[in-house]
Amino acid sequence: MMSSMDIDRFGTRGPGSGLIILFAGAALGLAAFLVTLRHGITEWSFAITFGILIAIGEMVQFSVDRDRNRAPIATSAALGYAMLRGPALGIPPELAQIITVVGFATILGVVPRAIAGLRWDIVVSTRRVLSVACAAAAFSALIPDDHSWDRTWGTSLPVVLAMLAGVLTAGLVDALIGAGQVTERLNKPFPAALRDELVVMGRIGMAMGVGGVLLAASTSLVGLWAPPLVVVPLLLTQFAFRRFASAQRTYRTTVRSMARSTEIAGFSSPGQNARTASLAVAIGNDLGLTPARMEALEYAALLSGVGQLALADPSPGGASLLRSREERQQAAEIGASIIERSGVLDHVAEIVRHSNDPYRHGRANNSDIPVESGIVNVALAYEQLVGEGNGQTPGKAMESIGLGIGAEYDPVVVESLRRVVGRGFRF
Amino acid sequence: MPSRPRMRILPLVVAATALAAAGSLVLAITRTQEPLVVAGFCLLALVASALRSAHTQRQVELVSVVLAAVYVVAGPAAAVVVAAAGSFAQARAPLIKRIFNSAQRVLSAAGAAVVYTALGGPVGDEVFHRVPDAMIAITAATFALLVVNAVLVAMVLVLERGRHAVAEFLRHVVRTTAAPLLGYGLLGLSMAVIWLGGLNIFAAFLILGPLVVARWALSQYEAERRAQASALRAFIQLIEVKDLYTRGHSERVSEGVGMLGRHLKLSEDRQNALEHAGLLHDVGKVGVPTSIIQKPGRLDDSEMDAIRLHPARGVELIGNIPFLEEVKSAVLHHHEKYDGTGYPAGLNGTNIPYFARIIGIVDAFDCLTSTRSYRPARGVEETLAILEQDKYSHFDPQLVDAFVRVIRANGWHAAAVDQPAPDETVQFSIDHDDLSLGKGGGASGSAAGPR
Repeated sequence: MMSSMDIDRFGTRGPGSGLIILFAGAALGLAAFLVTLRHGITEWSFAITFGILIAIGEMVQFSVDRDRNRAPIATSAALGYAMLRGPALGIPPELAQIITVVGFATILGVVPRAIAGLRWDIVVSTRRVLSVACAAAAFSALIPDDHSWDRTWGTSLPVVLAMLAGVLTAGLVDALIGAGQVTERLNKPFPAALRDELVVMGRIGMAMGVGGVLLAASTSLVGLWAPPLVVVPLLLTQFAFRRFASAQRTYRTTVRSMARSTEIAGFSSPGQNARTASLAVAIGNDLGLTPARMEALEYAALLSGVGQLALADPSPGGASLLRSREERQQAAEIGASIIERSGVLDHVAEIVRHSNDPYRHGRANNSDIPVESGIVNVALAYEQLVGEGNGQTPGKAMESIGLGIGAEYDPVVVESLRRVVGRGFRF
Repeated sequence: MPSRPRMRILPLVVAATALAAAGSLVLAITRTQEPLVVAGFCLLALVASALRSAHTQRQVELVSVVLAAVYVVAGPAAAVVVAAAGSFAQARAPLIKRIFNSAQRVLSAAGAAVVYTALGGPVGDEVFHRVPDAMIAITAATFALLVVNAVLVAMVLVLERGRHAVAEFLRHVVRTTAAPLLGYGLLGLSMAVIWLGGLNIFAAFLILGPLVVARWALSQYEAERRAQASALRAFIQLIEVKDLYTRGHSERVSEGVGMLGRHLKLSEDRQNALEHAGLLHDVGKVGVPTSIIQKPGRLDDSEMDAIRLHPARGVELIGNIPFLEEVKSAVLHHHEKYDGTGYPAGLNGTNIPYFARIIGIVDAFDCLTSTRSYRPARGVEETLAILEQDKYSHFDPQLVDAFVRVIRANGWHAAAVDQPAPDETVQFSIDHDDLSLGKGGGASGSAAGPR
């Protein structure tokens, strides 16, 4: 039952970019490993300490903000290891050694997760290794190996600025790869996907990056006493975002359960709300909406039918297309006013309120009505035609929706639906 | 209740504390060197104090990191001065509170300074050669700071609010903040190392950055939790939209089980779970056809069967929300009776889940004390008498006794004003929770009473 509700990841994750990333990571890792074999590892104690930190961080990874898998402790530790200098280290690790240590530790951390049956994602973990490699390359290009902190303003400031540059490089590389993957998987326009990635980078990314700088700076100064000193911000970032992620999940499942009440009451067929929402989300992605608007859109699509609960009897099969317009608009109004009473879903209520307005009488003349209402309207109609048991072909359904362009449906949204369906969207 | 003499002592105690603080501050100022460094730290302490989150009142954390760094960079005496400077940025409060808070911070820092000096904690560049010593000294100093702070606050709390407030303070505030604070001491040491490593005041950005982001995430966490609580309430209103007379029932049951849960001293997690279960116990009613819910008169067997499905429907609906397992079992079994004649499983006695037994009592109580279309609301005392009469057949007798005590002690302000008055002409429906009805409508029992 729930698998159909799990629309965060409705897109098929094809081999495409994931495979390229894995291949690039494997090639880089292998090359680095061979170089390291020839040169040997310098400063074993640092390699082992940071390796353990990275492995532990990978083990306790979690996902936050929809599908993004995060391992703050591992990221900070890897960035820290990439930017070590004297006086604590005689010979700082070279690029190949950094990639080897981070790669090995990452695998060590992911394997137990895979064995324990927890969620893991080797592509995201590989992305972490790749972006850390970029940070290491940027940092070592700016600061020579023999540069050492000597407790003066003049030498320490350039090192820290170079560290920040390295961290920023890692963040940008990861954002670019991430945005590319989102574009590939969800067909979100690349600039919009990149914008979303950069916003996230400014928050958890900043905490992870500065954590890495902190670790690198204090380890360079006092050696291996440093990790226990800076463990607090690392743990705090992990703890805070984990709690945030779990509260987010609870909230989302609550709204989804709320949406299922219409199914249990017989006002809509099983999975109907989830199908409508998955289509609305696909259209929203195609139009490049921001994450906050996407969330409201998804909830609105899920909850668009709740107003029917106030109507006397369920209509057969939940086909709200069969009801009169007045009745549908009335139900939408009731639904919106209930949703509004929660006090936190105002934007959702606004979308639901206008989700049954025909385009010509609504958005065409009133720019206050959000485009999301038009999306929900079209998604509802398409689901009615193609969804389970109604059995029209997508082409036929597009034809009948096409007849309503401009009058019933928002032309921009119908164009987007055409693209989404053209790419092979299936419920 | 605080007694009068105690309240009169309070200003004297605050004055004495302030005097002691002023004394140690003067002593500290005479021993402070490097005025520029200290001024930088004072500025940081002010900023850290001002960065107070609206959601979590934990303003202590950032300041204690800055403070811990001062011991190492500029010495224990300077830390006392910085603590005094930081206390200028305070939340709005009555003057006496602010004076006490400032004095308390200075004295705590002074206590920590004594410990740091006694343990020979390194000051300045010396730290690079003696990191383990510094770790021990700073941890001990932070611990001393915590102890002095707790003792001073506890003293004022006793005078102001009595002993139970102190127990509360020790349990909730001290226990939860002690471990993180010791960690902040170490983080302060790391800040000192980077400061002395040449970065000077810019070290603060590296330290405070991640902390501020983590705090942002925690505030988001609180926001999501509040959003979820509101969404749940909207959910309930959605379910109750069908039925005028039971409106507000779920919220009141949630409040009632909350009162009983606090009396039973549940842990915080379980208390929340119990309140959620109380709120959600009837969500499955959305699956009962409106025609049955609104049917006038008594229900026949098949209609009663439809009603009996509602607990299972409820679990089906909320099954995916990550609540404690107890919430789901409570929703499923809230219509079981102690003698085993309830539904859906016919459990008896303590086989009925604990939360389900609690909800069963409050559910019946709220139903009887609110208006139904076919009868007016009963008085609280009358209803409590009914519960006591039924306590061996329907309910867990011990829980009934506890509930009666809670209601007698705290009162019950339910039976909302916005309910319609009983009206013979309205198409009315029988409430399935109603104890006062025979087999057809709900429970049977001595509650049937005069109609």
